[in-house]
Amino acid sequence: MKDCENISESMGRWLDGELSPAESESIRAHVAQCAACREAQRKLEKLQLALEGALMAESKSIEFEPFWRAVQLRIAEKRTWYEDALDWSRGLFTASRAAWAIPALIALLLAVASLESYFPGWRGGAGRNAFAAVDSIDAHGRNVALLREYDSKTTVIWLYEDQEGENETAEEPPPPGPAF
Amino acid sequence: MELSDRELVQKCQTGEMSAFEELVSRYHQKVYMVILGLLRNREDALEVAQETFFRAYRKINSFQGGSSFYTWIYRIAVNLAIDAQRRQKRNPLDFRESMDGLLESQDEVARDPFADVHDKELRQNLTNAINDLTPEHKAVIVLRTIEGLSYKDIGEILGCSEGTVMSRLHYARKKLQDKLSAFL
Repeated sequence: MKDCENISESMGRWLDGELSPAESESIRAHVAQCAACREAQRKLEKLQLALEGALMAESKSIEFEPFWRAVQLRIAEKRTWYEDALDWSRGLFTASRAAWAIPALIALLLAVASLESYFPGWRGGAGRNAFAAVDSIDAHGRNVALLREYDSKTTVIWLYEDQEGENETAEEPPPPGPAF
Repeated sequence: MELSDRELVQKCQTGEMSAFEELVSRYHQKVYMVILGLLRNREDALEVAQETFFRAYRKINSFQGGSSFYTWIYRIAVNLAIDAQRRQKRNPLDFRESMDGLLESQDEVARDPFADVHDKELRQNLTNAINDLTPEHKAVIVLRTIEGLSYKDIGEILGCSEGTVMSRLHYARKKLQDKLSAFL
């Protein structure tokens, strides 16, 4: 009886081929001489067949062509510009080309970044849209920044509290209380 | 010579759409079955199956080949199906579709080798019994039934251990057997 309980626990694994050869052989030998376990095996196999039949039959109704067209449609609809760019760049950066292409790209970026030092004003106006900052002009934790916007020829003087100064103030110990 | 899944994935990663088409052709029915097993609603299952391949296409470049393609695609499918099932449970009226259509279509499959499946009463009860399982239990039953996947592969797909797969499978089968005892 104890054997039958154990067999019942392992029956599924046995039929699924998930037991070791020794365990499988032990179950096979028991089932061969136990009517109750043979019945359990038959029921489990029938359940498996019913499940397979129910699921397999339905899958045959799915034709490939319409399914593939629907997937393609999703791909086409949901593509973003950066995916197109990635696809395009994938052709450029195949394994054989990547060896020289990546250093070349880095060199190009560095060259563009250093153009300003060799040709000041090449972008159409020196320091266009750049901000000029002035250091603190007093000793009370106040800073002044001078902001120049070249397009509109506007200058803004910006006074602001020095955050660090505030923090230092906040951390100062409280004044001593009255002495008793 | 037929290319392996891995070779097709590599071709996909270099942008070959025809390679992806071949992968879809190989797996669309099985992926659909897995999802249908979880959702029991043909329209939703078709929708989720198409979304599965769309997601796979989007992520194909991140597929490193650490697992097989089929475990990867089933993992996407199962996750999407479980999400869809949870959404359906929140909107039961949208989800409720009778299984009559599914059962009728099975009757049309004249050369079904499994004569027992033609027992409409058994199928109706089987459907109800499957629907009563939790998504996690349904998932193991469906993956095992459809693809005959090993417990290890099922565990990889569902993100759980082989021991968990084994106990879920044992529980799910027991539950189905209890509910279908009159027909087995």
